[in-house]
Amino acid sequence: MGSMFRVMAVVLAVSAGLPLPGVEFNRDIRPVLSERCFTCHGPDNNNRKAGLRLDQEAAAKAELRPGHRPITSGDPTKSQVFLRIASTNKALRMPPAYAGHEAMPANEVALIKQWIEEGAAYQNHWSLIPPRRDAGQTIDSLVRARLAQSDLRMSAEAGRPTLLRRLSFDLTGLPPSPREVDEFLNDRSANAYEKVVDRLLASARYAERMAIRWLEAARYADTNGYQSDGERSMWRWRDWVLQAFQSNMPFDRFTIEQIAGDLLPNATTQQRIASGFHRNHRTNAEGGIVEEEFRVEYVADRVETTATVWMGLTLGCTRCHDHKYDPFTQKEYYQLFAFYNNVPERGLVYNFGNEEPYLKAPTPEHEKKLAALDAAQRQAEQNWSSLQSRIAADQIAWEKSLASSEPLHWSVRDGLVLHLTNDKEMKGKIPYAAGQDVAKFNYMDPFTLAAWIKPSSPNGTIVSKAEDYFEGEGYQLFLMDGRLRLHVTRRFTDISLRMESVEPVKLNEWSHVAVTSNGRRKGAGFHFYIDGKPVATKILFDELTYPYGPKEPFRVGQGAGDKYRYQGEIDDVRAYRIELTREQVSTLPLKESIQELAAIPLRARSDAQRAKLRLCFLDRGAAQEIRDVRSAMQAAQAERMKYYDSIPTVMVMVENEKPRDTFLLKRGAYDAPGERVFAKVPAVLPALPRGAPANRLGLARWLVDRSHPLTARVTVNRFWQMLFGTGLVKTVEDFGSQGEWPVYADLLDWLAVEFMDSGWDMRHTIKTIVMSQTYRQSSNVTQELLQRDPDNRLLARGPRFRLSHEMIRDNALAVSGLLVEKNGGPSVKPYQPPGLWQELSGGRYVEDKGEGLYRRSLYTYWKRTVAPPAMINFDSPTRESCIVRESRTNTPLQALTLMNDVTYMEAARKLAERILREGGASASERIRYGFRLVTARAPRANEASALAALLDQLQSRYRGDAAAAEKYLKQGQSTRDPALPVTELAAYTGVSSLLLNLDEAVTKE
Amino acid sequence: MNALTRRSFFSRTSTGLGIPALAQLLADDAGAAAGGLPGVPHFAPKAKRVIYLFQSGGPSQMELFDYKPQLGKLFKTELPDSVRMGQRLTGMSSTQTTFPVVPSKFKFAQHGQSAAWVSELLPHTAKIADDLTFIKSMHTEAINHDPAVTVLQTGSIIAGRPSIGSWLAYGLGAETQDLPAFVVMISPGQGGGGQPLYDRLWGSGFLPTRYQGVKFRSVGDPVLYLSNPDGFSSEDRRRYLDTLGKLNQTHLEDTGDPEVSTRIAQYEMAFRMQSSVPELTDLSKEPASTFALYGPDAKKPGTFAANCLLARRLAERGVRFIQLFHRDWDHHGGLPAGLPKRCQETDQPAAALIQDLKQRGMLDDTLVVWGGEFGRTVYCQGRLTDTDYGRDHHPRCFTMWFAGGGMKRGITIGETDDYCYNITADPVHIHDLQATILHCLGIDHTRLTYKYMGRWFRLTDVHGTVVKKALG
Repeated sequence: MGSMFRVMAVVLAVSAGLPLPGVEFNRDIRPVLSERCFTCHGPDNNNRKAGLRLDQEAAAKAELRPGHRPITSGDPTKSQVFLRIASTNKALRMPPAYAGHEAMPANEVALIKQWIEEGAAYQNHWSLIPPRRDAGQTIDSLVRARLAQSDLRMSAEAGRPTLLRRLSFDLTGLPPSPREVDEFLNDRSANAYEKVVDRLLASARYAERMAIRWLEAARYADTNGYQSDGERSMWRWRDWVLQAFQSNMPFDRFTIEQIAGDLLPNATTQQRIASGFHRNHRTNAEGGIVEEEFRVEYVADRVETTATVWMGLTLGCTRCHDHKYDPFTQKEYYQLFAFYNNVPERGLVYNFGNEEPYLKAPTPEHEKKLAALDAAQRQAEQNWSSLQSRIAADQIAWEKSLASSEPLHWSVRDGLVLHLTNDKEMKGKIPYAAGQDVAKFNYMDPFTLAAWIKPSSPNGTIVSKAEDYFEGEGYQLFLMDGRLRLHVTRRFTDISLRMESVEPVKLNEWSHVAVTSNGRRKGAGFHFYIDGKPVATKILFDELTYPYGPKEPFRVGQGAGDKYRYQGEIDDVRAYRIELTREQVSTLPLKESIQELAAIPLRARSDAQRAKLRLCFLDRGAAQEIRDVRSAMQAAQAERMKYYDSIPTVMVMVENEKPRDTFLLKRGAYDAPGERVFAKVPAVLPALPRGAPANRLGLARWLVDRSHPLTARVTVNRFWQMLFGTGLVKTVEDFGSQGEWPVYADLLDWLAVEFMDSGWDMRHTIKTIVMSQTYRQSSNVTQELLQRDPDNRLLARGPRFRLSHEMIRDNALAVSGLLVEKNGGPSVKPYQPPGLWQELSGGRYVEDKGEGLYRRSLYTYWKRTVAPPAMINFDSPTRESCIVRESRTNTPLQALTLMNDVTYMEAARKLAERILREGGASASERIRYGFRLVTARAPRANEASALAALLDQLQSRYRGDAAAAEKYLKQGQSTRDPALPVTELAAYTGVSSLLLNLDEAVTKE
Repeated sequence: MNALTRRSFFSRTSTGLGIPALAQLLADDAGAAAGGLPGVPHFAPKAKRVIYLFQSGGPSQMELFDYKPQLGKLFKTELPDSVRMGQRLTGMSSTQTTFPVVPSKFKFAQHGQSAAWVSELLPHTAKIADDLTFIKSMHTEAINHDPAVTVLQTGSIIAGRPSIGSWLAYGLGAETQDLPAFVVMISPGQGGGGQPLYDRLWGSGFLPTRYQGVKFRSVGDPVLYLSNPDGFSSEDRRRYLDTLGKLNQTHLEDTGDPEVSTRIAQYEMAFRMQSSVPELTDLSKEPASTFALYGPDAKKPGTFAANCLLARRLAERGVRFIQLFHRDWDHHGGLPAGLPKRCQETDQPAAALIQDLKQRGMLDDTLVVWGGEFGRTVYCQGRLTDTDYGRDHHPRCFTMWFAGGGMKRGITIGETDDYCYNITADPVHIHDLQATILHCLGIDHTRLTYKYMGRWFRLTDVHGTVVKKALG
């Protein structure tokens, strides 16, 4: 059956309207050869059959063996290609029967015959020839000329309400307000339409509308996308995109900053944030994966996304072999791969936040607040410094005053959660077990462990809260071959931190040992101390990436297995829930009383002794004022630190100093490297611009170089798709020979040149399209036109198609008055049926309260493995990989969503409230008002009466059952207007829901 | 509906062709009732539908089906390099310093005419052994859950391709107009949790969204957004839809766009689903004998047992591809305690489903598939004691079983070595499995294709051979 399917594909390019005279290679022949022949007789050098190559003219016309030419210009009977495709002998016929292929349909055979008869002229593939245009044309002149060839004419201009609604959705993603409709209807000036266009293009809404399609292309999301699908934070990159569209950043700069912003000379923070584009791909945090397998996947994703978004090339095919249809080799794929292969990144990523490399990315508000906190901290520190001479004097006096009192034994008690001594708790008993609920630290908690030890064996556990074996889960501080060693383990083989001191601890002598952690899970944040002094450590394994927490007691002398039972003595075991400072740790080994320390002459005191006296004074002896200033300073420092930690980061691109070697990967497999390759662009495309480096920056400049035949075409084609529902090249992701040959190749080129000539001005280009008469046509269609051009490829009418997924929801929020318009910021969590996350991956989706429920859908939190179902039901891309094609289907699930989802029921209720408040006094006025809110036009008499009849029915139904009305109105968090009668509101809510479900409501006409 | 209307029912932009497939959703169009691709099935099918009991996490073949008596003597001995042959291991055990062999703690016996070896953990499955086709030589390249489940569901370890159910919905369409062609149900292991699952596992990938699997849930609406809001009855909905239909009809006449009539049909289908789904999920009319067969859990919504019963009811109503996922088979540690629980949850219901289908005469045209995404290692992962052990992921061999539609009953295919590490006879790759499932449904897996990004894609990528030995 595939065959029927394929026939239709092949003829589609020429089926729109009437066929045109003459045979043209790119339009008529290449699609047939590509679909039927190139798999075996095309660009793939490794799988070519019979040495025959049909995608290159010279090869196709050369003698393959004596007397046999694949194609002889002008003579089908001397052309093996024709003879074989026309053969009725199954053994000879091509495509071959033995491989399961049907014979080529007669019309294609006829086309090939005619083409050979006419001289078999080849053309380079159209999309690889740089676009150019003839002077004096416009969008409309090109469309009119093409229509005339098919004996068609443009449709009349759409009515003003329809046109304004179309324009508003197209340029802002939101409907016009009734006031905007009135203004436009009443504006009789010649440039009334243009004024609206300019107003809409200048709005912040325009940036949001443009951004969402870009986010889909960029596979932007709030989670990593594999397995347990942890959270990441990329919204600062998303806000960069919004800002770029808002400021109408030229597309060449838009490109360069996103592909290589980090490599620009003196790159700004904003430019580095922009480079997050290529960190949006999915990443894998599943324990046990082979890192390189996935790191390669990330690089491949970048290559393929770049190819799709900028060049409309399906280079993914060349990852495993030469392209079957287009002139790209596998080696060229890996040469592009080399551009993206130099990021200092990992294949196995952190599951609970951004993975390196990332960047602190404060917003202007963050910067402002941080500056204020910095100033407050500086002030508090200054207040503290100014007290120092007084403190010194007070301390001396305090020390003197101590001499007469009882000996004071003081030690650091801030954050102390456990203290065990032989005098009290342990009584010299080893092993000793304290409770399960003490000293419960997790992987992101700061802590300190300390003890006095006198080991008689070089192997033994000092303290632990872990399963009692070497690889056990939990933390273990022990001696191994005399060295002080720490394990913090979730799973020993791959989720664990292990480090040890370089030097051993002395046996059979008392030593004081301590370990501190700053609560940031990396080995670099852990410090070891022996006798109060920091000691060198060696990090053996640094993969503490998950929470841990065994149900085990805190043990002294045990907890790393039988081999590590402690031999010797242990005393003064301490656990703190803070990271003690170096100064604080230095005081722990001091056994002297404060009086004994105070008795030491000032100059003779060690640093540790000095520190201990001072800390004790501040803790015990200082005046209230001193204490207050000190705690104010500590609070200011903590607040600043806490705020700084809350500032979002964003993953960005960074280049390794020394490029990673890149190899062709056989069959695309990470573990099958072939020949070494270097960064280089494909041969059939222009070379890198003069002076451009062979790195990402050069690649980015190349993409937007004037000589590049694809970037401008591919980009304006997406603009066209955004406005007309279908690109001029329908296969927006494929401009290769398997893609669609554009009916309006001249129009596409005209736009591409316009785009580049305007300085890659996106707003200008979009304005140019929407100003055209082509765009402004009515979308109503006659039966005849529908028969002739069902898909409107000839553009004899305006676009009419279902709103995209985000517009459907945003429209409901807007017309009901619920929409909260606020630009940018962290993602929000609107309504979602409960339990969806739990049943698949665990974790809970916690709906926002208040404004987060009503922001534009662009800001909805996107968990890739459990994407928002209402968006998916309306054909949203899943954000797992780059998607540029807009897709629209119809399913009953969409109807159920629009009728029953709380999002739409609440919108219906608020719309009803609005109608009742603003819509006048009579039912007919109110129906008219509501209808106009939703469709921008007034209802006709029969429409109004049908709605009135329903209203009537619902009114009497709810008058008879007020309890049902009450229940019906309990949808959504927003409050109900108490001034409105319940039964009336319920009846109007039913009608409003219907309005939101009208075909016209969810369609751009 | 005229041809143009039907045509525009499909996306105008997503198929790459703007055309072909016939309406999966439209009943009132003779010839399109089945709603698949013209010419599919390619040949007479043995099975009309599939019930796939996916055991997510990777059940251990050594404890359940692949009996290895020799391992008893090898307890705690090191896995020989000659067996492991340098094959890659997951990052969870590749850094282990020792790979001690651990035999099954559970006993095996032979059952039925076929004398199939089945573990004591699966007494009910053992009783139906003669109805089953065991393949002990399944293998995959993937060694981690996400890629392994993804390749089973979509034919590629890299996410983005359509799932097997959506391929079938696309190719074969539905037998019913009142329910989706592809339904998914999920049950957690009762220990809670298990490996995560992802919506994309039943997604439509690059196929149009309407072919995606529809998840039936045990809490809230069985299908998302199915129920009318409180205070809005089915009669209210009918009146509402009559008005909506009238207005849309008017609009159809105004615009001339056939897309509007598909909108009308879409709402009528939704209305039908609002009654057909509750009828389906209402188990109150099932006799006591049903619950005796499936076990007491079948009365608890959301259990594997309840889902098995629902699967039978879905099959009766013409749903094409029914897929159950039971989670929490991932026994890296604590296997002797964890595995019996999963077996207890699944053994009786799975066997009951086969018997139930059989007694209703439906087993002949229903293909039932049981299995996980990979097997488990013969060596112990983590801590080995005399009573406790765990096993890591093992892609080199694992066991699945099949029943009904098109399969040869009471046979075992494939053999593994004494260590249950490598396949020694009749290897069956994931793509072979997919080709075989399609074959049972009358589909040549090389000819069920879809053009995307310039290329004709298929479920089996460029691989796959039908396992002829398994066919009845």
